[in-house]
Amino acid sequence: MARTTRVTKALPRVHEIRNLTESTYVLRFDRRDLEFEPGQYVSVGVKGDIDMREYSIYSPVDADFLEILVKEIDGGHVSRRLRRVRPGDEVEVDGPFGFFTIDEPDRRRPLLFIATGTGISPFHCFAGSYSDLDFRLLHGVRTAGERYDHDAFPSDRLTTCLSRDPQGVAAAAHVARAEPVADGRAAVGSADSSAVAGRVTDYLREHPVDPGTRCYLCGNCDMIYEAFDILKGHGVAPEHLYAEVYF
Amino acid sequence: MGGARSVAFADLGCKLNQFETESIATQLQEKGYRIIEFDAPADAYVVNTCTVTNRADRKSRNLFNRARRATQAAQAAAELSAEPAAGTPLVVLTGCFVNSHRDELESDGRTYIIANEQKHSIPALVDAHFRGEVVHPAGNVFDFPVAKRIFHTRTTVKVQDGCDNFCSFCIIPSVRGRAVSRSSRDVVAAVAEAVTAGAREIVLTGVNMSRYRDGGVDFTGLVEACLELPGQSSGHPGERDYRLRISSLEPDGLADRFIRLFEHPRMAPHLHLCLQSGSQRMLLAMRRQYTYEEYRRLAADLRSIDPTFNITTDLLVGFPSEEDDDFAASLAAIDEIGFGHVHTFPYSPREGTRAERMRGQVPSRVKTERSAAVRTAADAAKRRYRESLLGSRERLLVERAERRDGTLVLTGLGEHYVPISVRLPARVGEHARASADPPPRYENTFLEARIESLGEGDDPVLHGSPG
Ligand SMILES: Cc1cc2nc3c(=O)[nH]c(=O)nc-3n(C[C@H](O)[C@H](O)[C@H](O)COP(=O)(O)OP(=O)(O)OC[C@H]3O[C@@H](n4cnc5c(N)ncnc54)[C@H](O)[C@@H]3O)c2cc1C
Ligand code: SF4
Repeated sequence: MARTTRVTKALPRVHEIRNLTESTYVLRFDRRDLEFEPGQYVSVGVKGDIDMREYSIYSPVDADFLEILVKEIDGGHVSRRLRRVRPGDEVEVDGPFGFFTIDEPDRRRPLLFIATGTGISPFHCFAGSYSDLDFRLLHGVRTAGERYDHDAFPSDRLTTCLSRDPQGVAAAAHVARAEPVADGRAAVGSADSSAVAGRVTDYLREHPVDPGTRCYLCGNCDMIYEAFDILKGHGVAPEHLYAEVYF
Repeated sequence: MGGARSVAFADLGCKLNQFETESIATQLQEKGYRIIEFDAPADAYVVNTCTVTNRADRKSRNLFNRARRATQAAQAAAELSAEPAAGTPLVVLTGCFVNSHRDELESDGRTYIIANEQKHSIPALVDAHFRGEVVHPAGNVFDFPVAKRIFHTRTTVKVQDGCDNFCSFCIIPSVRGRAVSRSSRDVVAAVAEAVTAGAREIVLTGVNMSRYRDGGVDFTGLVEACLELPGQSSGHPGERDYRLRISSLEPDGLADRFIRLFEHPRMAPHLHLCLQSGSQRMLLAMRRQYTYEEYRRLAADLRSIDPTFNITTDLLVGFPSEEDDDFAASLAAIDEIGFGHVHTFPYSPREGTRAERMRGQVPSRVKTERSAAVRTAADAAKRRYRESLLGSRERLLVERAERRDGTLVLTGLGEHYVPISVRLPARVGEHARASADPPPRYENTFLEARIESLGEGDDPVLHGSPG
């Protein structure tokens, strides 16, 4: 009896790697005919490597390519290898998977997005895919340098929580004041209008949330666990909390 | 051909595996094969494996080796041949262990290694082997006809396969593949066929049925359709009627109206709802798709329809970074939910899963202690649950009727999925004694029983009398 063999098919090719910081990059590759819902993720790996990892889709739903936002992890297997691929290289992509999506009726309700680090990725996709979302985004990062592509979000909808960068708070406020553009959005390359010191959970504790808000949380497990508790304390029902846990 | 040939089966793991084994056995029986015990010398052994834990891997290996040893002598002559020779005894190894250990398993002259995707072709394959022919598997994961009652009185219908949830500890998505739903038309037809063939209890099974979807039909819609079969819609419990049971279910993605299903008289008031942990932190780390509060509310809603609704579950202990208070939350959940049964297993890393790469792996000693504590709490909860049925009436589906001490004793499961034993009054017992065998009419019939007492042991049987 023959053993099952893998069907070989042409793999998606890398278009570009855009470095956002020393360790974080956006990888763009062929979309092919992959249909997905904003908020879903794909499994990605370098060609020929059996190890693949999950990455939320970063690019909007109508783009003719796919992008993922990846942070290279110290000692990490796939995030390091993906950093080294070059335009034209093939990558293994499987999916889409996941249920971190916004139901049609909820797209008309007030939404709170809470992210840490690269957990901003699905929200980037939401913001680029749905034009009329009524959302607020809280992005928890360590330093101001980790405000990945913040210019993609309307500045009045975004609050950055800087956990280890008190100077960054002042600098961000300064830049935002100095360089507003006509439509009220921060200028490309500038920072958001609202940056605060502390973690997203500190911010949440001090800023009650309307109980009817649908809350979407993405990033590390400990933040999500803590935020769940705080949000429930603000009266948000457990069934209105949606989580995508990265690690 | 195949008339005098015998086939022995062994299966491990989930209800879906059990169903697939039964369906394969049914087909072979219909081709003229005798189905015999696994311990007996057989012409073919079919081992349907599991890989969900290290223990399941070990058991799969052991069963495989036992089957191989049993066939070894008879196969000595065929040892050197590359392909199985016609007529030599054979071992068929299939199931999730095969899918997760493909690299180390290879078919040879006396063994067929069959991945899950081709499992449905085993009857044709075994038959072809004994005819000296070769078959080329065709078909899909739903090509398992309704199983006859070979091993159980219950008849299982497969509605779905695979899973896309990717819980961080679970290997099932990589061994069963992506979620696929069988067409609702086919499922309803299979249930109807089973009812027509005389099945009294139909169990819907799949890997992750709560995500079932066939066009506009979700899992709740599918069950609704199975409850209202043409010609059987009176809903009054009668001799020709049937009941419907849902096997294991993930507590996420269910429609609000799901709960209302259990108001239907044909619906068995029992669900195996996998909780895995009572700690919200662990549920998040496991990437489960519900909160503990949602689980608790689901349980309360089910109990508002039937206060003795039986909720059984799986609990995983010793997941990476599980602290004492996380574990305490799982123990507390056993009492708070009031489980009728808890299947507990210590976490064992499965290759390629996220949890395998997590920091904070819990030492084996701690896992063993925690498993033992869960078992103690679960045994007590099971006893409490069964005690809550004392004085009530259960509808027993008789699986066995046997004479004990001169009277006839009927055993089987009640609608709450609890083991029940009913001793018939002496009058009926006398009648039974007159014939050589127990009257066959009791098996696979419903019997209303008054529950009077509870037996001993960690799986205590409820004793009752008719009426
Ligand atoms: C649904 C889903 C979506 C995800 N989306 C993204 C995304 O959009 N962008 C992204 O960068 N990552 C994302 N991740 C995480 C990603 O899948 C990998 O876990 C991550 O890239 C590390 O993989 P690796 O092979 O480099 O490290 P590994 O070799 O797997 O791990 C090395 C060590 O690092 C730890 N580790 C793993 N991930 C992290 C982390 N993020 N931070 C710190 N330590 C970690 C591991 O526990 C392990 O001890 C997502 C995860 C999931 C489940
Ligand atoms: S829901 Fe989770 S535990 Fe259940 S089969 Fe799917 S991945 Fe495994």
